[in-house]
Amino acid sequence: MSENDRFAHRLALLGGVEFSPTDLETITSEIVDMDRILTELEQFAHDTPWVSLQAQPNEKKPHHD
Amino acid sequence: MISDFLEADLVDLSWLISTRELSSADVVTAALERLRSLEPKLNAFITVLDEPALAAAKAADDEIAHGQRRGPLHGVPITIKDMFATSGVRTTGASKILLDWVPNFDAHIVERLHAAGAIIVGKTNLDEFGHGGTSTLSHFGPVHNPWNTERIAGGSSGGSAAAVAARICPVSYGTETGSSVRRPASYCGIVGFKPTFGIISRYGSFRGAWSQDHVGIFARSVKDIALGLEATAGYDSRDPSSVRQDTPTYASHLDGNIKSLRVAILPRFLEGVDSAVKEAFEIAVKALADAGCVIEDLDIPELRYAAMTSMMTSAAESAGINRGWFRERHQDFVPHVARGLAVGMTITASEYLTVQRARHRIRQALHEAYENIHLIVTPTTARVAPPIAEGVKGNGDDTRHASYNHSNLLRFPSMLGLPGCSVPCGISPDGMPIGMQIIGAWFADQTVLNAAWAYQSLTDWHRQKPAVCQ
Repeated sequence: MSENDRFAHRLALLGGVEFSPTDLETITSEIVDMDRILTELEQFAHDTPWVSLQAQPNEKKPHHD
Repeated sequence: MISDFLEADLVDLSWLISTRELSSADVVTAALERLRSLEPKLNAFITVLDEPALAAAKAADDEIAHGQRRGPLHGVPITIKDMFATSGVRTTGASKILLDWVPNFDAHIVERLHAAGAIIVGKTNLDEFGHGGTSTLSHFGPVHNPWNTERIAGGSSGGSAAAVAARICPVSYGTETGSSVRRPASYCGIVGFKPTFGIISRYGSFRGAWSQDHVGIFARSVKDIALGLEATAGYDSRDPSSVRQDTPTYASHLDGNIKSLRVAILPRFLEGVDSAVKEAFEIAVKALADAGCVIEDLDIPELRYAAMTSMMTSAAESAGINRGWFRERHQDFVPHVARGLAVGMTITASEYLTVQRARHRIRQALHEAYENIHLIVTPTTARVAPPIAEGVKGNGDDTRHASYNHSNLLRFPSMLGLPGCSVPCGISPDGMPIGMQIIGAWFADQTVLNAAWAYQSLTDWHRQKPAVCQ
């Protein structure tokens, strides 16, 4: 995916909300930084287990004294 | 001129009211007068509750006179961040979006504070919905630091920190998603404590990022923090993250004997810390060593990813929470907050899950570290409060600064739900306070408070007064 396509894909997620050119420039530069961070985090976390986020009702949990 | 009793800690003020040497009505009146006189300089409040506070104070005096004292907060003026819903009183989150919203229910901590007889005199200013670290991102304008009104108070709970530092009240309640209690406490020269995730219910407070949000407490003494925690901690089924726990009794268990506590410092992350801050921190660590703590260097390389993981989690979750308002009223957000939400909106589900894997790996590293140590201590912030003129970038809080070395130390406690306390530990050459944070393992809240209390008993940094009190 080209860089332009990648930006277009991300900006489409704004759901039609429009920003001024100046704001868009700021947002785009943040997205560039975010892409760099995500690449780093992906490498850092690649062999880490997926996390279960299920919450269980407290009253059903066994008690461990 | 401050009424002398407004200088008093919660413990002393409470005793004076309980013995009827002072009436709650007199103390609350003085607190409101002080608030009004300082507000043009600090801009620490969004809503002031003159009449309800005075009526509650008179009721407290009646109850105390009839032997019905409810506890240490009874009749004492306090403040809360305008993140907490208050029945019949507008609750804005410092946002234009909720400028006139008057809830018909109380947040959990408000319920508990009313039950304890505390008198809420005002709702404090903040970064909009907690999205920021400066308290400059408010629809109501920036909060000013009581030590130097040209500086930021820190955020997002800056109004609460400023109010306690300026002796308007002895205790205030805020929230923390990244560093929003510990940072403003450090910048304003007071104590700020964030308990283990789930200890205080967040029911009725706006969400910044649900998996990182905490309720926290500001005071000038650690004992006051412990009393403020006791009043508000406890299981609440309305917050899915609330933890079942024994009736909290933190204050009566404060123990200044910290001999043999194993305390780690993390030299890798101190590179880049301002020299005055570093020097004050080193002196503070020596004080802990002299008190019998075993100090050791520790390296947790995984922490290098803590700030970016925390910020990405916040960005994604806050975008999810504010999705509706963002689409319908984005122009009503503070512009910087709107841009931050826009960035968060572009994070995909798979990317969020990748970030959570990284978070899990960092959590495992800390879990292993705490097998061998009791506490981690670090400077709370890398430098003292920057000028307001530096704006939101003054804190290095933008995503582009996420790899900034010290930010990792500031952000990991909230991201992982660890208890943390910032205590004053020095004054910079330009007259601004410096803080040290003490971080414990999950549910080691009492150990953190004990160490903070022991440190305070050895020093008097927490008794230094800001410029507005001179």
